[in-house]
Amino acid sequence: MHISDGVLPMPVIVAGWVITIILLAGTLRWAAKNGDIAREIPKLSVMAGAFFVASLIHIDIPPSSAHLILNGLVGVVLGPLSYLALFIGLTLQALLFQHGGITVIGINTVNVGIPALICYLAFLAGSKRGIPLPAIGGVCGGLGVLLTVVLLVLVLVVSGDQFFAVAGLLAGAHLPIAVAEAIVTGAVVGYLVRVKPELLPIPLKGEKK
Amino acid sequence: MRYPDIDKYAWLDSPIHRLEPRIKILSFTVLIFSAVFVGNIPAALLALAVALLILILSRLPVRFVLQRSTPILVFVLPILLLMPLTVPGTPIWSAGPVAFTEEGLSYAVLITIRAVAAIVLVLTLLGTQRIEATLRALSLLRVPGVIVQMLFFTYRYIYVMMDEFLSIWSAMRAKGYTLRPNRYGLSIIGNLVGMLLVKSYERAERVYRGMVARGYCGKPITVAPFSITAADCFACLLLIGIAGGLQVYPLVAL
Repeated sequence: MHISDGVLPMPVIVAGWVITIILLAGTLRWAAKNGDIAREIPKLSVMAGAFFVASLIHIDIPPSSAHLILNGLVGVVLGPLSYLALFIGLTLQALLFQHGGITVIGINTVNVGIPALICYLAFLAGSKRGIPLPAIGGVCGGLGVLLTVVLLVLVLVVSGDQFFAVAGLLAGAHLPIAVAEAIVTGAVVGYLVRVKPELLPIPLKGEKK
Repeated sequence: MRYPDIDKYAWLDSPIHRLEPRIKILSFTVLIFSAVFVGNIPAALLALAVALLILILSRLPVRFVLQRSTPILVFVLPILLLMPLTVPGTPIWSAGPVAFTEEGLSYAVLITIRAVAAIVLVLTLLGTQRIEATLRALSLLRVPGVIVQMLFFTYRYIYVMMDEFLSIWSAMRAKGYTLRPNRYGLSIIGNLVGMLLVKSYERAERVYRGMVARGYCGKPITVAPFSITAADCFACLLLIGIAGGLQVYPLVAL
């Protein structure tokens, strides 16, 4: 799911870095406006560590064996700062496990980070309408993976017509993961609603809106 | 789930190990970018040869490199298998509707060589110094403080969270849980991830309070006893020269 070094042509890689740097600067500025960034760093890092470990869980769905991506869940829990957390996670994955290359960290972050931001907005919109939270969580989990696949296919097709078949194969292999991830994310959100609702971007009971 | 011990051979001694971390990161990054963007197979082979030569110089065990480079297969194998069959062009070999084209094969081979050269360089860069040294050097290279601090913290907490995960996991296994890809099995995984998040959130609160009590105010304080020698400068110029050469070579050779 994470693109390796040496696959993509230069313009795509440069575009990935440009978009990632703009989004990182934007979300950091937003965070600085809404509170102390120094306060956020340790918390965000511990959470990013937890997501990193959770994304190492192997799930064997014949014919493919895959890791969870969990970008939908990251988006729901961490909000706009999820882009930063995913950037850190992907950088460490490239450095520590060689999942994804060094030169393509930019474009890989675009592929998982933008869906995370969209999932955050979708969760906010859904929870305002009063849809049961585990259901929205499930939708966000599936949506996160599906959007990532769409972006991945787009990136490969833009890179050259030669990638057409490869993109199709990867998209097909990701569909079962989207389903698995929808179920897992739905369960996580259900668990958090019961155990630790302050982790979710919803107004708590007794709190003023 | 295994610990990410990428730097387990950082204690070895070799010319590559002795390079100053900042110099090493800079020159290797330039070389990696150059290797990734080479445009034809001879230049790519040259990049691969340079990468392998540096690897031999670094004395990293071959087994370590082989084990560590398996993740690229996820991309490289489909490309090697599918591209020759699907890219239109001059057929080298065909059977009925299936044709094996020259263009597809050469493009796939080019990508594979570039990917292998890049991963060999990445592994030599990361395998020959402690990950702390890499992150400190990044901080000295003016990577924004927020990013470096988060990389440090997250790296540290990955180990803690792995231990947390393994303790929950062994408790689940002891109660007879086996992971099956059905709705029940996956929702239990969901509870596991939720538990991990709650634990990490509570730990994050404690960590933050502990850090503030020790005077943390969001600024990284790095003390890195790095010093650049003439040999480092020479190695840096040499590696960047090679990187430039890889880009110039296809223009001259034609």
